[in-house]
Amino acid sequence: MDLGLRDKNAIITGATKGIGREILELLIAEGCNVGTCSRSIEDVEATLEKCSTRKAQVYGDVCDIRDKEEYEAWIEKMVETMDGVDIFIPNVSAGGGMDSEKNWWKNFEADVLGTVRGCEAVIPHMKESGGGAITMLGTTASLETFAGPQAYNAMKASLYTYAKQLGQFHGRDEIRVNIVSPGPIEFPGGSWDMIKDTIPKFYEATLRDHPTGRLGKPQEVAKAIVFLSSPAASWCNGSNLVVDGGFTKAVHF
Amino acid sequence: MLKKSYKKVDRVKDAVSGGTPIDHVPPPDDLGYDMIPKERYTSEEYMQREWTHMWTKVWLLAGLAQDLAEAGDYICTEIGRESVIVVRQKNGGMKAFYNVCMHRGNRLVAEGMDNAETFKCSYHGWEYGRDGRFVNLPNGELFPQGKPCKGLVELPCGEWNSLVFFSLDPDVMSLEEYMAPIAGHLEPYHFERMVVTKDVTIEWSCNWKASVDAFNETYHVAATHPQLLWYLNEMDIQIDCYERHSRYLVPFGMTSPQIKRIPEIPPPLKFMMHEAGLDPASYEGPVDGIRKTVQKHLRETAGEKGFDFSELNDDQLTDDFNYLVFPNLTFNTHADHLMLFRHRPHPSDPNKMFFDTWTIQYIVDDEELPTRRPRHRHVKEGEKSLGMVIDQDGGNLPKVQAGMNSAAYEGLWLGDLEVRIRHFHQTLDSYLED
Repeated sequence: MDLGLRDKNAIITGATKGIGREILELLIAEGCNVGTCSRSIEDVEATLEKCSTRKAQVYGDVCDIRDKEEYEAWIEKMVETMDGVDIFIPNVSAGGGMDSEKNWWKNFEADVLGTVRGCEAVIPHMKESGGGAITMLGTTASLETFAGPQAYNAMKASLYTYAKQLGQFHGRDEIRVNIVSPGPIEFPGGSWDMIKDTIPKFYEATLRDHPTGRLGKPQEVAKAIVFLSSPAASWCNGSNLVVDGGFTKAVHF
Repeated sequence: MLKKSYKKVDRVKDAVSGGTPIDHVPPPDDLGYDMIPKERYTSEEYMQREWTHMWTKVWLLAGLAQDLAEAGDYICTEIGRESVIVVRQKNGGMKAFYNVCMHRGNRLVAEGMDNAETFKCSYHGWEYGRDGRFVNLPNGELFPQGKPCKGLVELPCGEWNSLVFFSLDPDVMSLEEYMAPIAGHLEPYHFERMVVTKDVTIEWSCNWKASVDAFNETYHVAATHPQLLWYLNEMDIQIDCYERHSRYLVPFGMTSPQIKRIPEIPPPLKFMMHEAGLDPASYEGPVDGIRKTVQKHLRETAGEKGFDFSELNDDQLTDDFNYLVFPNLTFNTHADHLMLFRHRPHPSDPNKMFFDTWTIQYIVDDEELPTRRPRHRHVKEGEKSLGMVIDQDGGNLPKVQAGMNSAAYEGLWLGDLEVRIRHFHQTLDSYLED
């Protein structure tokens, strides 16, 4: 099956590590150019150097997506450099935490506004070029009770409503909007790698809740995101794709 | 040990005047790299030599001075085959005695703590005062030969840093001389301000030295306590060796150099920040900057929280100042608490020991003070959790002891992070050679 990604242009926030990095590598392998960012110049440079191929190019810059002006300027620069944008994947998250009210502000800024501002910046360009695809990052922690009452779970939840309505609103512009709900994902240097060491009981309990007895891998989520973002998923709009190896127990009718 | 590109831990450069010395005292040059023979951990003969040459010559911990607050308060503690009573006197002093009735040899009191007007033998009623002298000998006319002695057999005892010590050697050097130079290291912590919040003894199936060793090196942290790699730096430690005691200073509030990628502030560091009164979500600095941030914050807020940390340097506000007081005391010393471990040999089996732990805490808010002293609990291996870290250590020890008894095993092959174990054996040798 041809995903139809060749010579497309994608913008992914924070694709130097983890799931974002896997998405980037898959897109590049499909011949899709990618623009990305990180707060660390070393990470950006390492990704640019390592990931570009003859088929597709990686572009990138340092950007703190929590800064509205900096973020919008970076998106404009990426669109200009790649000469358009067909796919947008707002991937940056402030992560979990039950420390203080500050967690709510951080998740609002990074997870919610990081998505909303990005969508508003790319949509005019997509309209102009006749369409596009936006794939947001949700979490199974929004769908079912998980870990503890926290900003990450609740703030991510708002993206489901936003994704659905954004897709409806821009249907005639040929812009599809979908959301993916990854379950716990483990990779070296990731949060679950750290939880395995520091809160082993929680890690083991989470493992037992998985029908397969393991956590997900970044590639397994990335493939689903790449599919939804590709022209191959042309009839997917407003859908929520749960990618959790069967971790959540609710039946999705 | 560490890569050239590694950025060394930022340690305080100046000691606080009158505070804990910070100078590095390297291990003696002659420690060498020889294997430590396993028989030291497994042989009954070696155990016997330890008893006659070491245990009966050194100063030993009886308990906490706070448990001897009133006249008549006593601690009865056991070491090897002996049982000893240390009792507070009317004049405020203390005396120590063998816990033996001079009549037929019965134990006078059970191991533990209590208050007594006199010590009366349950067998025939011979009764001794708090000063050890005879108070009553029932039907004295039955002993035309008179009394065997003046009373209980006394032992040297003394108080040091709010801890009570005794020695089985009547000619032992002074407690001050024995403890040098550690007294001045620990005084700035003011243990007298702290109260006991936990007091548990656990029986472990290992030699007492295997237990000492488990807290005398940080090399085992990565494999045994992987969670601690996200909380402390076990590689860049300062190891200092003194005449018979030693210490290492372990930086807390940062991650191990073995952790290469840190996705977010690790849960144990978040916990440390919360405890200090800092909000991890509001912290935007690097993870390895947390240690200094916590130090600074604790320093700034100590006054309003009611703590007096004036005699402690900044590193002492976060780091573990871990002391080994020869032969068998491990001090995990922190600004607001002390975890004190005593490693006691079994009376006859080199493959068994008693691990005593006390936690004492610096509590300034009366509301948080425990309403009564926690009861001492004596448990068997695996019966009760002593917390994740000690459970992990305790999980190793019976297996270590079993393996040491294998024909395949010859002895301890120690690396540079285990140098305190070498120093400990050198000190032990100095006793056994006499």
